[in-house]
Amino acid sequence: MADPFILEDGSHIAVVGGGPTGSFFSIFALRMAKMINKNLRVTIYEPKDFSKDGPLGCNRCGGIISELLVQALAVEGINLSDRIVQRGIDSYKLHTDHGTVSIDTPTHEKRIAAVYRGGGPKGTMGQEKESFDGFLLNLARQEGALHVPLKIDHIEYRNSKPVLLSREGDVQEADLVVGAIGVKSQTSKLFEHMRFGYRRPETVTAAIAEIGFDRDILSERFGASVHLFLLPLKEIKFAAMIPKGTYVTICILGKNMNVRSVNEFLDHPAVAAVLPASVPYKIGCRCLPQMNVRAPGVPFTDRVVMCGDAGSTRLFKDGLGAAYLMGKAAAKTAVFHGVSADHFRREYLPVYRSIVNDNRYGKILFQATDLFKKYKTLTRGMLKVISREQEDQYRSKRLSSVLWDMFTGNERYKNIFFRTLNFPLQHDLLCEITKEFIAGKA
Amino acid sequence: MREDELGRMYSEGEQIFGEGQEGDRMYVIQAGRVKITKKSRTGDMTIAVLESGDIFGEMALFDKLPRSATATAMGNTRVLTIDKDKLFQTISRDPTLAFRIISSMSSRIRRLDDELIQVKKNKLNICTDLDETCEYILEEAKNVIPAENGSIMLLDEDGETLSVRAAFGKEWNPKIKLRVGEGVAGDVLKTGKAELINSVSQDARFKSGSAKISSMLCVPLKWKTSIGTLNMSNSSNKLFTLEDLKMLRSLAMYASIAIQNAKSCAQLKSTTEEMIMHVSLLDVS
Ligand SMILES: Cc1cc2nc3c(=O)[nH]c(=O)nc-3n(C[C@H](O)[C@H](O)[C@H](O)COP(=O)(O)OP(=O)(O)OC[C@H]3O[C@@H](n4cnc5c(N)ncnc54)[C@H](O)[C@@H]3O)c2cc1C
Repeated sequence: MADPFILEDGSHIAVVGGGPTGSFFSIFALRMAKMINKNLRVTIYEPKDFSKDGPLGCNRCGGIISELLVQALAVEGINLSDRIVQRGIDSYKLHTDHGTVSIDTPTHEKRIAAVYRGGGPKGTMGQEKESFDGFLLNLARQEGALHVPLKIDHIEYRNSKPVLLSREGDVQEADLVVGAIGVKSQTSKLFEHMRFGYRRPETVTAAIAEIGFDRDILSERFGASVHLFLLPLKEIKFAAMIPKGTYVTICILGKNMNVRSVNEFLDHPAVAAVLPASVPYKIGCRCLPQMNVRAPGVPFTDRVVMCGDAGSTRLFKDGLGAAYLMGKAAAKTAVFHGVSADHFRREYLPVYRSIVNDNRYGKILFQATDLFKKYKTLTRGMLKVISREQEDQYRSKRLSSVLWDMFTGNERYKNIFFRTLNFPLQHDLLCEITKEFIAGKA
Repeated sequence: MREDELGRMYSEGEQIFGEGQEGDRMYVIQAGRVKITKKSRTGDMTIAVLESGDIFGEMALFDKLPRSATATAMGNTRVLTIDKDKLFQTISRDPTLAFRIISSMSSRIRRLDDELIQVKKNKLNICTDLDETCEYILEEAKNVIPAENGSIMLLDEDGETLSVRAAFGKEWNPKIKLRVGEGVAGDVLKTGKAELINSVSQDARFKSGSAKISSMLCVPLKWKTSIGTLNMSNSSNKLFTLEDLKMLRSLAMYASIAIQNAKSCAQLKSTTEEMIMHVSLLDVS
């Protein structure tokens, strides 16, 4: 008898959630199926209208598409045009209590994209621009996926196949359900109730605010750089200002951010240096989104797989890159192998785990960063090394590239971690720190 | 460059990489066009014009050899760089990322195959077209020996009549046919000896056509046996020299080889074309 867990012509895949993970899954599942002449039906359930401005049309994040993801997508034939990109980024400015350094891309090329996930901050609807999530959902539709603007309210097994139900619409049976629901909704309960061991990921609350400027002031103050703040504030891990068209997205990552966190951050002297009170700006919108910090252990069962933020993601960065990796890995498993728990364990779990394991190295790196921003000598030593590396074209850029890769999501944490153990880098740092230490005593 | 664009801008004519350079990155065109050229004996040859979304420069990543061609921006062109290290790392984790590179390479190979067949066909045409070869020989002859008229006459398949395969000069009649031994050309064919005649009207062998001929050179074309004659003549009072005769005789040796080649190729041509058709059908299936 044929394996019932292998998808055949006409098999139906229901994707719950049309954020980046759901769209990536659908795009690649349909492409791969075409490659082997398999005819699959893919339905994406997504109630959000991504062309809407404000929180309603938005999946709430900083909107940085990492260097690695921009390049991988280009190789896949998914090019981010100026309709989607709000600003091309070619450098990072690292601000601390003790000074600022700039880290540039080696080729002075704009390799990072700043986008909006939805229609943009409140009141900006109707611009020429397109949302990133909307763009991907459209691509999925072009590949042949059906988009149904419904929220799924219940999932149950009937005759060993999952059936999806919505208060507002039809019942659908599926050969595979992809849970691409993110962490920001209550939908995780639907999957928890299926009792295969899935638990909503652990999260922390982050803060985002959109502040609007005059376009010229914005370009002059922020240029094509993401401004990163490593400040000795206990609750805040780090914060970023990401310039877009006429807004800068302020993204504050820490344990439990609240409305006050944004104000405290804006009042900090290092921030005020970049954004003095004399520069007129208005706050467009604010939100306090949940951020996945620990992945659930069991992300699949027969005919169900959890991907993207609903599963594991990369700690504090490049969640969209993780969405791409996982969406594609799940698609590959479903199309080329099968949809049983066993298939997912063999083919999908290693990719999922690699992200989880990599975050362990990420945690250590962030602990080290905490140390560096806490102690003046360390902060200064680090700034000295970076600015020396940046000034001298022929000097190897060890520390700069470590920080670049760490904050841009250009490299796995594990690889960065091992690079920090590199002797010349340690030596450079130690020298500068010692000098700072002696100068401090004197 | 606008603030909402990715990659790097190159302006018209700016080189992205040059043939022979080391290469460790691949490129994806974001906007505009890129011309791929290759150096050849006769100058730069354009081998492809690529458009937005196309990948280029991927070969050096895989074969580690210097760039095989030059890439130049056509108009303002925006290009995104793909780093080799990162690309290979990602491919090693997700080999399907290479699908699109492979499919882009295979469509390029297909196109090259088509062009190769075209080139091969063209080459065959040049050597198989006997009349074209004769025209070409006459053209060369005209360059070395100043003459008002000229022709190449070849023995027909029956082995008995000579007919004109190529000719120039306003008074030359290309419809003329001679039997072996008949007229000056017929006689030269028979004897196999080159002749210089500066008083044609007095030559008893001369068969007058519509054209008035006063002086002529006639050399045999030989491949084992005589296959035809190469003739140059003047209608005015201009005379030929012995030097001219020697030149024409040397030329006739090469001409004979070329003509014989063309004849053999013509026989091969149909067989070869059949084979090529066969190969391309195999490739498509
Ligand atoms: C403060 C913050 C800043 C961030 N900054 C960045 C950044 O700069 N760069 C980056 O790469 N990543 C960033 N991330 C991470 C990134 O936001 C996520 O990794 C990414 O959104 C995950 O995509 P997803 O598709 O898995 O989930 P989501 O984007 O959350 O999408 C889930 C979708 O599912 C839909 N859905 C939910 N329930 C249902 C249901 N019952 N029925 C139908 N549809 C449903 C929702 O409407 C939503 O559209 C950031 C995260 C936070 C919190």
